[in-house]
Amino acid sequence: MRLARAVVVIAAMTAGSALAQTSEALQWLRKIHDATQNMSYSGTFVYQHDGRTETSRITRYVDASGDIEKLEVMDGAPREIVRTRDTVRCYLPESRVVKVDRRSGERGFPALLPERVTNLAQHYEISLGETRRIAGYDCRVVVLKPRDELRYGYRLYADSETGMLLKAVTTDPEGQEVEQFTFTQLSIGKVTRAMVKPRHATGSWRVEDTAAAPASLAGWSVSAELPGFRKVVELKRQLGQSRPAGQMVYSDGLAAVSVFIEPLESGGQVRSGLASMGAINIYTREVANHVVTVVGEAPAVSVQRIADGVEYRRPVQ
Amino acid sequence: MVNDKVGGGGMNERISALMDGELEGRAAAQAMDLLASDPQALHAWRTYHLISDAMRDTPLLSARFAAAVAERIAAEPTVLAPHRLDEQPRRHQARWPAAVAAGLAGVGLVGYLALNPQTGGVPTAAVPVAQGPAPAPKRTLIPLPSATPDYLLAHQGFSPRVSFQGMAPYVRTVSDQANEARR
Repeated sequence: MRLARAVVVIAAMTAGSALAQTSEALQWLRKIHDATQNMSYSGTFVYQHDGRTETSRITRYVDASGDIEKLEVMDGAPREIVRTRDTVRCYLPESRVVKVDRRSGERGFPALLPERVTNLAQHYEISLGETRRIAGYDCRVVVLKPRDELRYGYRLYADSETGMLLKAVTTDPEGQEVEQFTFTQLSIGKVTRAMVKPRHATGSWRVEDTAAAPASLAGWSVSAELPGFRKVVELKRQLGQSRPAGQMVYSDGLAAVSVFIEPLESGGQVRSGLASMGAINIYTREVANHVVTVVGEAPAVSVQRIADGVEYRRPVQ
Repeated sequence: MVNDKVGGGGMNERISALMDGELEGRAAAQAMDLLASDPQALHAWRTYHLISDAMRDTPLLSARFAAAVAERIAAEPTVLAPHRLDEQPRRHQARWPAAVAAGLAGVGLVGYLALNPQTGGVPTAAVPVAQGPAPAPKRTLIPLPSATPDYLLAHQGFSPRVSFQGMAPYVRTVSDQANEARR
């Protein structure tokens, strides 16, 4: 086994020098991050996954009071999502339902802080790739290659000037594409507040409030946690009309995996197994008379390992 | 080229180390993932156990054991090739970054520590003829759960990716595929 250890040591040393070379790529990541936080824009993008292509329009308006972002689906039913600083509203015109997801109190949306960007290098080999023109913008490519098979890789195409992300490709650990987002048109600036208003009058629609609030899920835990993934939040919420659920979220700083725990209705059946949609894998199984559904932007093996680690121990009174 | 060498030579080393209980946490978990996904690795694992059983005169082996294993292995490519192609392809390439990560991360606490040569070896050696050669491929997909849009809405808000990409990833929540599941 001496050989194996020597290999690991050499590999670690090589990685050390590689880390030094990633600093420019890390700066690009920060630039993308800042552009995402600070810019107003509107554009059309396509989401490609599983042999499908879906076109949507995204508009982001920033002023001193914060930002509002609207996403509208262009094909089929005009579903819409509008996000303000602390609330996401999802408008589903076919069923005349608005789903409302609020962030409680001090917890806004999880910003990946610029200083945390550096930590990503623990799990991803970060480098700069070629220059490529996308939707009329000259873009620099930032490549995040996973250091193990537990997370996806990413290729991020950012406008050389502003850092605005024009295209994002997610790849599996073997480098095969699993999904991509690409702007086909983008204009930076020139956004008014009226442009991010929801188009639907929802007076008579049903409101489904997720009532999400931090809470501890007594007795529930994930025994073998995934290397590099830490639990970032634990909360209770409603799913759909009124199904109580617990949620635990694990993240490596870029990818996130949620564990949902719902009581099994009496006589209910659980369809166990893996489902997938683009980069999202969903693994369902039954644990202690509950349905455990693990949803994550991570390879199937990771999602399944977290699911297999979910366990319930009756809390000691 | 160096990487290939590390990847190829590393596999047997790692499996041997796993068998001897020398791997811990993350490294052990990775080695086990390898066993689950790579018939070559599994073959090495079985072969090592065969050798070790033979050296210890383990009485469980029938006279036809080795031949039966050989037959099974000979039959494997036909049975497994479609799965390997679309589900767990060419994992060797990623192996060397895995070694880097294991080296950097040091020891992770994963519940696989309980595995040792005894529990890992005896059942493997005793039952493969009856049970079939490979761990069941775990990639048979089921339809998306009907609550997929709800799960995605709840999940996206915690994805740090939103920091890089604004709300574009939210499109999954309203995507046709997710909403077809609802019906």
